[in-house]
Amino acid sequence: MGIIKKLPVFLEKVPGGGIVTTSLDYIFSQSQASSLWYLLFGTACCAIELMATGASRYDFDRLGMIFRASPRQSDLIIAAGTITKKMAPRLRLLYDQMAEPRYVIAMGGCTVKGGPFYYDSYAVEKGIDHIVPVDVYIPGCPPRPESLLEGCLTLQKKVKRLKMQDWS
Amino acid sequence: MSEIDKLQTEEFVLNMGPHHPSTHGVCRFVLKMEGEVIKDVEPVVGYLHRALEKICENRTYAQIIPVTDRFEYCTSMSCNMAFALAVEKLAAMEIPERAQYLRIIMLELNRIASHLIWFGTTALDLGAITPFLYGFREREFILDLFEMTCGQRLTYNYIRVGGVARDIPTQFVPKCREFLNIFDACVDDYERLLTENVIFVVRNKNVGVLPPEKAIAWGVSGPALRASGVKHDLRRDDPYCIYDRFDFEIPTCQNGDCYDRYIIRIKEMRESAKIVRQALDKLPEGETRAKVKMVFKPPAGEVYSRIENSRGEMGMYVISDGSTKPVRVKMRGGSYNQLQVIPEITRGHKIADLVAIMASMDVIMPEVDR
Amino acid sequence: MDREQLIKYIQDKFPGKVTLLDCGRVEPFFKVELGFLKEFCQAIRDDTTLGMDYLCNIAGVDSGEHYEVVYSVASVKNKIRFDFKIFPERENPAIDSVIDVWPGANWYEREVWELYGINITGHPSLKRFLLPDDWNQGHPMRKNWDAPDFVRMPEN
Repeated sequence: MGIIKKLPVFLEKVPGGGIVTTSLDYIFSQSQASSLWYLLFGTACCAIELMATGASRYDFDRLGMIFRASPRQSDLIIAAGTITKKMAPRLRLLYDQMAEPRYVIAMGGCTVKGGPFYYDSYAVEKGIDHIVPVDVYIPGCPPRPESLLEGCLTLQKKVKRLKMQDWS
Repeated sequence: MSEIDKLQTEEFVLNMGPHHPSTHGVCRFVLKMEGEVIKDVEPVVGYLHRALEKICENRTYAQIIPVTDRFEYCTSMSCNMAFALAVEKLAAMEIPERAQYLRIIMLELNRIASHLIWFGTTALDLGAITPFLYGFREREFILDLFEMTCGQRLTYNYIRVGGVARDIPTQFVPKCREFLNIFDACVDDYERLLTENVIFVVRNKNVGVLPPEKAIAWGVSGPALRASGVKHDLRRDDPYCIYDRFDFEIPTCQNGDCYDRYIIRIKEMRESAKIVRQALDKLPEGETRAKVKMVFKPPAGEVYSRIENSRGEMGMYVISDGSTKPVRVKMRGGSYNQLQVIPEITRGHKIADLVAIMASMDVIMPEVDR
Repeated sequence: MDREQLIKYIQDKFPGKVTLLDCGRVEPFFKVELGFLKEFCQAIRDDTTLGMDYLCNIAGVDSGEHYEVVYSVASVKNKIRFDFKIFPERENPAIDSVIDVWPGANWYEREVWELYGINITGHPSLKRFLLPDDWNQGHPMRKNWDAPDFVRMPEN
């Protein structure tokens, strides 16, 4: 990753290097955006909707999204379901195990801000954005597969805009 | 004695989960292994403990119904039902006929939907992807029916204290019949995929055998209990709603292994479809909800009411002190005991068998952690 | 066996130790003396007329004034169901474990111990169950429990 990040710096000095940089940017971002493999990370109700989105009718594969069981092979965590205080360190661990560039979608009210468990619950983490950085929030309890697809398309748009220097 | 035989395998501890695709949610197993063989399993739970019971103590009775939806999201209707039933028992309420029939239709459709999730994920755990797509294809039909009734796909909030939230739309009955007409052929399809599939049979036969005495002592209920040969179904043995008016079989098996648990659920899907058909035929006209006051206060008292959902006995223990909020709501799900018994039946098996056992028990974590 | 017969049978079988409470309208609720719990459970399971072989549920309760532990039992064979409860003391509450009678009681008792702080005498593995491993904020299901990040739902 380090080499690619430094690539634009070298190319700048070469005459016509800017064109190479922008073309590479385009190729990288397009290919990343159209094959966002997601980690099979479902904790609660939203996981069932995530499964339904992956299954026959909604068909995630159309967006080039296939589930992976290992965080090391995936580009994206769809945090589907409530994250409790006991689960929070594990989510962080999974995020840290993923290779960069990596993205997070917070699916459902619980991961956005605690959802229906905001009040009176002693065990639920009130939003996952203080555990991992979140790219797209999808509200709903649980969100419909259409909103999940829309969320993924939004993420794709975001990924397509990224330049090599922005990779984190 | 050769050199190889003298080698000793050391016991080692292996961690499985909490994020593992086959644990159906977030359950962690601490396995004590001797080579490939499992010596002991310790399930570590609590990763989805959301304090539902604490939340219920500070909600009115109408506000609790959506909370119960999240207790067991694969069959939300039966959670609504269990709670509504408990409160109705407290308040000694009369439910209109049409609401009774609508409840049965929804509960049984939801049971089919839940079994379809189980069917898909079980096959997925054992390495087959096609059944997952088949199961979810039919499940979408049922979700369409629910959606046109109450507007939600997963957390319905439909069965309320005193009846159901609203009447079904006019397209419901023809759509439902349409689904039932194709459904039996679909179950045949499922059976063609798995029932005699050699890999599936080898991985399930004689794996995780649960004898009937042990099953009862450990509190196992539902399909897992019936697979062990105990003919116990609360729809028959402790009838609630109007289940005594319907004609249906309670399938049982003898061996109590993973394969039998599979067979039971397949048969149950057919029986549920039968019940829905009868209920649609008899569906009367009329009111769908009894008169319930806006500020609902059941009389003081306590009740433990139980119903049979797709995973076994679902119980709700409610204490009321005569105010608008309950003192205590305790939820009991079938998975709680099914997960508890897993160490008992897993010892001596291999890790891959643990996955098969876990899948066949159909454990779902929010029922355990709440 | 209907409700009246069941009540009479149990009261005759355990005179003085078991009393009927008026809280259950459908199934009877009994109160069992604190020290008599294990003996009672053993007796109702082994009795041929009752045969309560199935433990449905154990629930801890904090009513504000006292703790209760409620046992819901059923018989698969005889199709009987009833509940009984015991009242542990307010200070240092403790009850006997019933794992020997119904092994399925194991996790229910762990839960009561963890969330209510009611000690279970004779339980083989009382350790963290539902709460995080590093939990140090007491027993959250007690009525007077509070914590810094615990938000109560505002009234209206």
